[in-house]
Amino acid sequence: MMQARYRPTFRATEFNLLLIPGALAIVGLLMIIVVGRGAVDWTWGDIWVSLAFAGAVLFISVSFGIRGFRGDQVLLPITATLAVLGMLMIQRLHPDLAAIADGYAMVAQRHLMYLAAGLVVLWLVVMLSGPLRVMNWLRKYKYTWLLATLALQAATFVVGTEVYGARLWIQIGPVQIQPSEIVKVTLVIFLASYLDDKRDLIGSSWQVGRLSLPPIPYLLPMGIMWAASLMTLVALNDLGSALLFFGIFLTMLYIASGRLIYVGVGLFTFAAACWAAWTAFSRIEIRVQNWIDPWRDPYVTGYQQVQSDYALASGGLFGTGFGLGHPTFIPEVHTDFVFSAIGEELGLLGTLAVIALYFVLVMRGYAIAMRAEDGFVQLLAAGLSTSLAIQTIIIIGGVTRLIPLTGITLPFISYGGSSLITNFGIVGLLLFMSSLPRRA
Amino acid sequence: MQNAFRGLLLLAAAGLISWGLFSSDGISDARWLGILGLAWLLLLLGTRIPLAPTLPTFNRTIIRTGLVLTTVFVIVTAQLVRIQVVEGDNIYYKTATAPDGEIIANPRTASGDLDVARGRIYDRNGVVLADTQLVDGQYLRSYPEPASACVVGYYSPFLYGASGLELAYEKELSGAAGNNPITRVLKSLLHRPQTGADLSLTLDASLQGQALDLLGGSRGSVVVLDIRTGEVVVMASNPTYDPNQLFTTSANDAAAKAYWQSLIDDPAAPLVTRGNLGLYTPGSTFKTVTAGIAIEEGLAKPDSVYEDNGQLDIDGRVLVENNRPDEARDQWTLAEGIAWSLNVVLAQVGLQIGGTDLWKYGPRFGFGEDIPFDLPVAESQLANGREVLSNKNALADTAFGQGQIQVTPLHMAMIAAMWANDGRMMEPYLVDTVTDADGTVTRQAAPATWKTPVSPQTANDVEQMMINAVQNGSVSGAAADGYVVGGKTGTAETGDGTNHSWFIGFIGDPEPRYAVAVVLEGGSGGLSSAVSIGRDMLAGTIQARREEAS
Repeated sequence: MMQARYRPTFRATEFNLLLIPGALAIVGLLMIIVVGRGAVDWTWGDIWVSLAFAGAVLFISVSFGIRGFRGDQVLLPITATLAVLGMLMIQRLHPDLAAIADGYAMVAQRHLMYLAAGLVVLWLVVMLSGPLRVMNWLRKYKYTWLLATLALQAATFVVGTEVYGARLWIQIGPVQIQPSEIVKVTLVIFLASYLDDKRDLIGSSWQVGRLSLPPIPYLLPMGIMWAASLMTLVALNDLGSALLFFGIFLTMLYIASGRLIYVGVGLFTFAAACWAAWTAFSRIEIRVQNWIDPWRDPYVTGYQQVQSDYALASGGLFGTGFGLGHPTFIPEVHTDFVFSAIGEELGLLGTLAVIALYFVLVMRGYAIAMRAEDGFVQLLAAGLSTSLAIQTIIIIGGVTRLIPLTGITLPFISYGGSSLITNFGIVGLLLFMSSLPRRA
Repeated sequence: MQNAFRGLLLLAAAGLISWGLFSSDGISDARWLGILGLAWLLLLLGTRIPLAPTLPTFNRTIIRTGLVLTTVFVIVTAQLVRIQVVEGDNIYYKTATAPDGEIIANPRTASGDLDVARGRIYDRNGVVLADTQLVDGQYLRSYPEPASACVVGYYSPFLYGASGLELAYEKELSGAAGNNPITRVLKSLLHRPQTGADLSLTLDASLQGQALDLLGGSRGSVVVLDIRTGEVVVMASNPTYDPNQLFTTSANDAAAKAYWQSLIDDPAAPLVTRGNLGLYTPGSTFKTVTAGIAIEEGLAKPDSVYEDNGQLDIDGRVLVENNRPDEARDQWTLAEGIAWSLNVVLAQVGLQIGGTDLWKYGPRFGFGEDIPFDLPVAESQLANGREVLSNKNALADTAFGQGQIQVTPLHMAMIAAMWANDGRMMEPYLVDTVTDADGTVTRQAAPATWKTPVSPQTANDVEQMMINAVQNGSVSGAAADGYVVGGKTGTAETGDGTNHSWFIGFIGDPEPRYAVAVVLEGGSGGLSSAVSIGRDMLAGTIQARREEAS
């Protein structure tokens, strides 16, 4: 058995599919350079970034094969394509951003660094999870993950830096981290482990006399998570992360128990909390107003949304093409609004391609979950996929004004180290889990 | 059965989204979100497929979750289709006015604009009013006939946006609309500049210039209409400005900024185009309307006799008459009341009509209505509200054109034209044709009747009374040799001691051809100069058209 699993292989599907993001990286960057200079004038040195990226992902694929890794062959190409779009967008925005403010001078270089780190993390997770028995200790230390989750949230509250009225960051020396991105993962690990242990109990009922109640004691840690989500909302004013945590929490509870009542009760209480927050804080009221009609205050509070609408609308069906639009009219376009920049320069075809990639990625993750033999792996794969799905929906829904806008990153595409590295880690875990023994 | 039902639900969701996307273009964002919400519920129900009970719970819940996520992605797709394609043009050109009065528009409409061969604007004889020249790879806008600025407007992409037709026809001029859609898509795909469509106007540039010359140092407006079609031949507003000085190739043009500031600071408001946007008290020119309503209602005829001994007591207020040509006469017909502009006679006519009926006629004459036009038009009013006219003094004041009544010069010209056009008030228009880059006419204006406030007989009576006023009354200064001219003057008290001088009239040979409205603002010109400007414009227009025809 062991010998069979370690026998080298050539991951042909993955390798061939990876040629697409590789070519996209090279052609896209060439276009950005040519448009930026206004002349067909480039050297190989200009596109070393793309060559390095293409080389790196192909190396990852080949090294997986040499290692005898037999997991999913579609996840990596999809992730790489999304990451290429993000990398190209940052390369394209960088000169314009740098002209706006000194703080943006290193944006493109930093993004490349994070991207490289993300790829390394993905590679390490896939290569080392087996030998290090990662699944075992992820499962075993569930209360550690719970504590880590709560501690990170509390730390953000105490020492967090406020940006645009929301506490999203912790500064550690020169490094700024976004704890919500890490919490997202620890939360999923804890829930997967806890729900796997208590799956039968949570699905059952608790009889009090003639009343049939949910098994309240087993839901206690759930209640703590619920409270932590609300704390994120109220204390940190971080509606995006609160939505994300709550979405993950409810979805996993439903997936494990099969009981819609939990979702119903959860949604109701969350809606009530949102309503309370809305009446208590004017910031949330402004946010709702900017969602329904940013034109009521197009100069101040609605400015970003109005500019994002303009950008998406100017893209039309085909987009202006890389470098030919004006996405930098949107403040913070490289983080919250990178999707609008894609909409402007790649058009509806580009945005639909991006959401199709996310969709396939998530469905692939669910397929891995369904095939898994082990209950914990099932829930972990489902939970991690769900976290990617919900995060994508929250930010794209916010940018396109389907829901109120919240400051959260678009996985693999937005600028931001914590987000890139964590999401690559998630894909690494999904890849590893896809290679574990399958259910008959 | 259940499968069919779910299929129906999915179809209903698809239908609902398509309906929301395509049928009603004026749908608000909030309503669209409601439609999407409903469609999402239908999708959720429609995708609740039955799952084999033998499947483990975990597989069933994962499949259900996957289906829910699928429906969410469908909704996101619908939203993207709406924002990027279906509503794309509307959002792209959407503007808003900030509380401080500044206009917010898509900055892209400005930044890309020197790459666009913006369409030219021609007058009715092919004279170029707005030109585009390619200089060093940039398309520069210029205005060879600055006198037409009050119609054409300015185009200032980097600083002040646009106004007038430059704003109203932005899509056509910039090539975003009006061209062959296939050419447009191809050009946008290949990143070639769009070529804008040209506008041909009904305006006559030389007559427009003549109108501004005649206005000279007076503040005011002249509007000349073709009676039978509603074509706007002249729409002048004085003082005006030079749009050439507002077009810049960058946002840092000190001269343009200084010029703009001087226009803003000028108390004479040169940026306000008075013809369509200036609201004035019409004074006695409104008497034609009062008389017309009374005749239409069968309350009076041109030869009906009214008592006017120099004053009229209305509920204790004494209205003094200064206009009688013969102080010894006490009996005057309605026609004489129009010819000599007798306030006491028309006050009595107004009281005969009554406040309720006068108010009822307001919308029929276009008061309180949006006049369909190529440029925005300020809304005329009879009074601030219906209840005002229940006061007899207010009613009498309104009947001879004082009180709270407000009109635009364009509207008064339309009323003058209507009397000479058998009671048909035509839709005014400025843009005759829109011609795209391939030379195809994509839009051709067609004359249309907007309102018919009175019968042809009534209109004819008023027309004859106006001709009589020129031939036998106080408007004799409007007579032009060889033509039939009808007219009515007005002196509108502004409340600050100064008066607006009005003239409305028409000219025919002998069939009525052109109508005019002239207004000279408070104290800036006398009644006789309003009449002579009106006469010169009518005669000048009919002669110019004759020369054109021969």
